[in-house]
Amino acid sequence: MKLDLDRILDVLDKAHTGPVYNERTFNLEVVAKTIQEKVAQYGLTGTCDPANPIPADDDLADRFYQAGFDAAVDIGLLCADTNRTIRLSAAELQAGLDAAPSEFWLGSGDQRVHYRHRELDDPTPPVWTAPLSIAVAEDAFVPMVEAFARVPVIDVLQGPSLETIHGRPLRSGSPYEHIAGRYQADLMHEGLRRAGREGMPLEAIATSTTHIGVLGGYGVEGGYSRDSDIVTILSIADFWTSYESLFKMTQVYVTGGGFINGATWVMLGGYAGGPEGTAVACIAYTLLMISVFQGARGGVPPFDLAYMGNTGGRAQWALSMFDQAVTRNTHVVLQSVVNQVTGPGTKELLYESIVGLTNIAVSGTANSVGVRSAGGRLTNYLTPLENQFAGEVYKAAAGMSREQGNEIVKRFMPKYAAVLSTPPDGRPFQELYNLDTLQPIAEWRQMYEEVKAEAIDAGLPMD
Amino acid sequence: MATDYAAIREAIVDGDADTAAALGRDVAETAENALEAVDTAATVIREVGDRFGAGEIYLPEMVLAAEAMQAFMDEVTPRLEAEAQRSGESRETAKVVIGTVKGDIHSIGKNIVATMLSASGYEIIDLGVNVVPMDAISEADRTGASIIGLSALMTTSMPYQKEVVSLLTELDRRNDYWVIVGGGPVTSDYADEIGSNGWAPDAAAAVQLCDRMMSSGTGPATAPFIGKEEE
Ligand code: B12
Repeated sequence: MKLDLDRILDVLDKAHTGPVYNERTFNLEVVAKTIQEKVAQYGLTGTCDPANPIPADDDLADRFYQAGFDAAVDIGLLCADTNRTIRLSAAELQAGLDAAPSEFWLGSGDQRVHYRHRELDDPTPPVWTAPLSIAVAEDAFVPMVEAFARVPVIDVLQGPSLETIHGRPLRSGSPYEHIAGRYQADLMHEGLRRAGREGMPLEAIATSTTHIGVLGGYGVEGGYSRDSDIVTILSIADFWTSYESLFKMTQVYVTGGGFINGATWVMLGGYAGGPEGTAVACIAYTLLMISVFQGARGGVPPFDLAYMGNTGGRAQWALSMFDQAVTRNTHVVLQSVVNQVTGPGTKELLYESIVGLTNIAVSGTANSVGVRSAGGRLTNYLTPLENQFAGEVYKAAAGMSREQGNEIVKRFMPKYAAVLSTPPDGRPFQELYNLDTLQPIAEWRQMYEEVKAEAIDAGLPMD
Repeated sequence: MATDYAAIREAIVDGDADTAAALGRDVAETAENALEAVDTAATVIREVGDRFGAGEIYLPEMVLAAEAMQAFMDEVTPRLEAEAQRSGESRETAKVVIGTVKGDIHSIGKNIVATMLSASGYEIIDLGVNVVPMDAISEADRTGASIIGLSALMTTSMPYQKEVVSLLTELDRRNDYWVIVGGGPVTSDYADEIGSNGWAPDAAAAVQLCDRMMSSGTGPATAPFIGKEEE
């Protein structure tokens, strides 16, 4: 996909000439106030029902969209390096959304993956990307990639990420990171080769914590490919952006164009306030990420500060409302991310995944990246099995109605509600997998089978 | 005049900085027991912090409450200092230089810690994100801080927390600053291992940590590490 240079230059110009704000004024007077105003203006106050996280009210979803669109125009993105705001007019914002693709392909050969906009209750299977950028030991990296690539339900690989390269600590933003961008590409390709899935699309670049790894590894010879891979740009949460994110876009441009995933988070309980304000902010920020960064794909889900995840009732509601609103009112390839908090080797992680992925499948998303095993905090705490399970749920739920989805979500949410604030860490890859066969140990496999049976019993066609 | 504790509580909870400042002036000028008024205010802001932690109130409310608390304290502090001087104990507000380390732009947790410390009477010099190790030390030098607080949310930025401690040690200045660390992946064991002075899992605990260090009576080079409480 070619990027439009005029639009890039316009964004850069705005980032250097737009309205100036200090941090406090922007967060409190612009973000918090605008969101509060839109929630009131469109009659959205008190519409969240955390006991029924998947609403089925089209009119309400459309009002949320309008509120989000207006908020995007009024707020814009504050560039942390210039203290100036990239603000688009309503016409510019809409033109950016109109220019975004409704479908595209990544990957090559028999591993090609078709991304396309999905509707509500749409039977089209969404695309499943795994794992997230969760750190693993360097010597476990290639076996881990191979183990993930051997899972057929995983369409695209993003993580894991490295914390050392050639035995040295990988220091963020340093020349080590520059090397790491390219190094990760090599290791990913080796893992794919061993799994027999060369040509599988990759998401760049889990180990690139700043833009420097992307400069080192994307669009360079032997690195991530601009024809078959996609670059994830995570802007700073709550309507901020920075040179780091802009550099990732300009790297895609200077290497000849490619695919961008524009994403980040809105903090539930942060400046956007409660679940209604958060849903409005998620919509607004998604529209901005796609329009400002020329995203082929994008989405900004909520993240609840109360327990640092999004599988509780009010966050699930905000997630669904945001997804439904964008799905119904645009043609973009929408992505959402479920933020689990419990660790691998626990049934709770699988229950959280049933809830989150059923929700985003029926609410219209085209893509998701997961699983955030153990909240993503702990090195080596992720395994292919929970990622397989979540992908199976995501695809099985496609085609169900919102009402059916809501029943499933209600049934499984209570199974982990009590541990959201004190989530069990679970166990690391090295303990849950046999490292020679790359298969899960019997105990973890059995938990998977048991929870899968429960999901099937609840009406999810996972068999 | 009797101190109106209910009004102090209300002004802070409502985030009304003007009223809080006026009440602070009243306390400074007329209260029999200024310390008790400060204790009330401190209890209120802790409750606000807890309610935020539980997801019952949202960040704008907490920030405004912290600002009201700050306005209140700004008025009361001169009297407390004068009283302390008379009784011979020193009661200066400690300064904390805080930032998220290099290569890391995760600011949310760091900001919450800074807000709570400031509401608890510490003077905060917030260096923002992406802070180069030597800059943290130079800023502490420049501002006369006692504590350097470093946040890191990624395994690839944690080495810079260690680097600050290493620089101080290698420059033979380890006794100049208390170094405390935190952030999602940073464990108490890691904080101990890299030779920092303390670690806290959240903002409320970070306040207690600083309080304990400021009253420990020893210097950072020799003080025992303060981290996770044994269970
Ligand atoms: C929000 C978020 C972002 C936002 C940050 C926005 C912002 N303004 O902060 C954005 C989208 C920009 C982002 C970007 C990235 N992120 Co990020 N992000 C997160 C997320 C989801 C939440 C972090 C958060 O705010 N938590 C809430 C706050 C309140 O918690 P906290 O920071 O831990 O703070 C509390 C305590 O730790 C303590 N504390 C904090 N600091 C201090 C300091 C002291 C001195 C003390 C005493 C205490 C203390 O008190 C706080 C209050 O209670 C985490 C996932 C997670 N589960 O944590 C990933 C996470 C931290 N990110 C991660 C990654 C990989 C990235 C990226 C590299 C992704 C990419 N490839 O582009 C980039 C990095 C950009 C960069 N250069 O830094 C990884 C790190 C993995 C690892 N092992 O290193 C995580 C864990 C996600 C994952 N893999 O699951 N991210």
